[in-house]
Amino acid sequence: MKKILLLLSAILTCSFSAHAKLNVVATLPDFGSLAREIGGDKIDLVVLAKATEDPHFVDARPSFVVSLRNADVLIDGGAELELGWLPPLLQNARNPKIEIGKPGRVQASQGIRLMNIPTNVTRAAGDVHALGNPHFTVDPIIAKAIAQHIAQSFSAVDAANAGFYDANYKKFEATINAKLQGWGAIMLPFQGQHVAAYHDSWPYFAHRFGLNIDVFLEPKPGIPPSPSHLTDVIGQMKAQKIKAIIVEPYHDRRIAEKVASSTGAKVVDFSQFPGGIPVTDSYVRLIDVLVSRLADALK
Amino acid sequence: MKKFILVTLAIFPVAAVSAQEVAPVLTSSPAPTVSNATPATAADVEALRQQVQSLTETVKTLQQQVKDQQAALEKANLTSESGLPQNPEPSPIAGAENSPTPGASAPPRFPTEDTSVVSSTTAPAVSGTPAPGGFPTTDTSVVTSAPETISSTGPGASLTQPITIGGGRNYMNISFDGLFGLAYSSAKDLDNIEVGDHDPQQRGFNARNIELAFDGAVDPYFEGFANIVFKLDNDNQTDVEVEEAFMQTTSLPFNLQLKAGQFFAAFGRLNPTHPHTWDFVDTPLVNGLFLGPDGLRGVGAQTSWTLPLPWYSQLIFASQNGRGSTGFSFRNPGDDGMFFDRITTDREARGLQDFVWIPRWENSVDLSPTQVVLAGVSGAFGSNETGANSRTQIYGADFLYKWKSSHAEGGFPFVKWQTEFMYRRFQAGRGADESFPVAETFHDWGMYSQVLWGFKKGWVAGIRGDYVDMQDSKFTDDLDRQSRWRISANLTWYPTEFSKIRLQYNQDFLEENFFLSGRQVESVFLQWEFILGSHGAHKF
Repeated sequence: MKKILLLLSAILTCSFSAHAKLNVVATLPDFGSLAREIGGDKIDLVVLAKATEDPHFVDARPSFVVSLRNADVLIDGGAELELGWLPPLLQNARNPKIEIGKPGRVQASQGIRLMNIPTNVTRAAGDVHALGNPHFTVDPIIAKAIAQHIAQSFSAVDAANAGFYDANYKKFEATINAKLQGWGAIMLPFQGQHVAAYHDSWPYFAHRFGLNIDVFLEPKPGIPPSPSHLTDVIGQMKAQKIKAIIVEPYHDRRIAEKVASSTGAKVVDFSQFPGGIPVTDSYVRLIDVLVSRLADALK
Repeated sequence: MKKFILVTLAIFPVAAVSAQEVAPVLTSSPAPTVSNATPATAADVEALRQQVQSLTETVKTLQQQVKDQQAALEKANLTSESGLPQNPEPSPIAGAENSPTPGASAPPRFPTEDTSVVSSTTAPAVSGTPAPGGFPTTDTSVVTSAPETISSTGPGASLTQPITIGGGRNYMNISFDGLFGLAYSSAKDLDNIEVGDHDPQQRGFNARNIELAFDGAVDPYFEGFANIVFKLDNDNQTDVEVEEAFMQTTSLPFNLQLKAGQFFAAFGRLNPTHPHTWDFVDTPLVNGLFLGPDGLRGVGAQTSWTLPLPWYSQLIFASQNGRGSTGFSFRNPGDDGMFFDRITTDREARGLQDFVWIPRWENSVDLSPTQVVLAGVSGAFGSNETGANSRTQIYGADFLYKWKSSHAEGGFPFVKWQTEFMYRRFQAGRGADESFPVAETFHDWGMYSQVLWGFKKGWVAGIRGDYVDMQDSKFTDDLDRQSRWRISANLTWYPTEFSKIRLQYNQDFLEENFFLSGRQVESVFLQWEFILGSHGAHKF
């Protein structure tokens, strides 16, 4: 009996004592990576979705409830990307610290002007997001905005380290500002070019670097490519001399390869999330890779 | 180009005005003295602010004109080249250099404005300074000045702020779900072969689950949920059932939650879920025969507690009236006042022993980033109507394993294995007025096990085995007390998560006993479903 009690108390203290660092949960790996930039080693970070999986469909695992229950800060997109799995988790987690409106809740889309807001919300148009396209973190200027929002939240929740978070934000901002010059220079020759993508995840990236990523292998968002649609896409790509098809880790690469082989375009592996493709362990390195890969394909 | 010069000329005075008039305040009176001179400067600043605002407006309109002109030019140039529709937006690379936004230069000179507007939210693009001549590092067009535009559907939204669904603003989510089936069976009495109330009941077309679901935040303390089901019987008459209608707390301390109203008992995996989420067309035998054709549900109250452990562990405890057909093995007067061949007593509750008490404990761990296991044990204890003091106990154990690819698209591919086991001890008394010759105690058990394989986006193949062992009795010939087993296989196509089409094959074996002859039945079902509206996300 004594042993059991001892074990139980050990488990309980284990679960209660992990409060030395700020417990941060990010729904998606891009927010997680920005949280790491700001929080450094002062936070314990849990990222719910995997970098390689479809962020629209993540299982609402019970273990996520435990992470959310212990969270001091939750960073989510706030633009319905996680609509299919986050609400039941929050309902089960019952954590007042991360309710909307509390300093412990960062909704990344807050203060971001979302693109492609549908005027008429109908599911006949496929998987449309009523609030606008939610794949916004790939614009470095937007990433800065999110990072600042995260820094504000961390400072509010953990005032003792506010200076640390602020300094990290400043550092991140300076890095992005410097990097933008390089990225802009690399993309400058391809300004105005058309690029194809499997899914419409890239309007913010296109806007930032002056591209037109406007031909999609999916006939409608979330609807698998049909042969007749692909025939149209191939015709369109030939007419516009499109040289690159962007695919993400969870897309069916074979379909993109097939289209590539009949158009002479290159398949370019992209990811919205740091870690989704090799050597992209931070946000800056992700954009580095995306920019250089696309530039190589467009040359 | 002319326009550009015009814009620059317009910006210049703005900057000049703000520099001239604000600079003295900033230079002559550093932070501490500002507070002393507040009444005077506040008015000044207000006047200045208005002035700057009006000038900013002018600049904006001019900018817009430039943008339009540029777009028109670009369009004209490009369409003449390729004849294809173009992105009407000017390229930020080309445009940004020419249009330093007023927001980037003016606000930093107004420290008061920064603290009142920005501190609580984000206006990050404003804080940076554009690198001269290089790639722009700020872009006010991507951020809004009013971050409040994004709200959410989550619980805890305040009373005055409607929750947002589908871009509209509502206080409630509404959805409509239609689930239909076309059935063929070698048995004429399909309603005796299928044990669930939402299963196909006749050869031909069936509409057994057309439901309206409502949910939303009631206030900062509660959320509400209701599920109203319409069923068409075999004569096409409509039955209405209030399947669930309950409120639950959202903000109790210590990870506690209370729930009260009409709700499904948290017994096992399948019982608390709605038919449209099931992986098969019909109810497993053990669920239909032990917990009842409509599942174990009723009016009652429930409390749940998430244990403060490093893994997911939850204790749930509920109490329900357990009366009628939705308390099937409990205070159920049965069809025509008979249950297991006894004339039922159908009495009012005498005390706590006549309620159904339903405890559950569930645990879940992640075996790996792609594998999850969830296991639970449940119980349901109460009295039944076959005798003055006859009791029923049901024990359940359930297990779920799920693997999902780390490169899943739309949630596919996956493999899901789910098993439930139940044991029922049923004291069958001598009926009302001791009219039945004997009292007996039945020890019945049953289980089902199913594997679902989502092999391709939108496609799921499933196989399920069912078995129920009913203790033999020389005294009853109730059809519900026949031991039986079943094997099912199906294939489902989900065009999206809002529709599905399913084909299922069932082979049923009903074992011979003292009164009933054994038989084999083959059935084929085609099921289809649509969902309208914002149907709540499903739990794991």
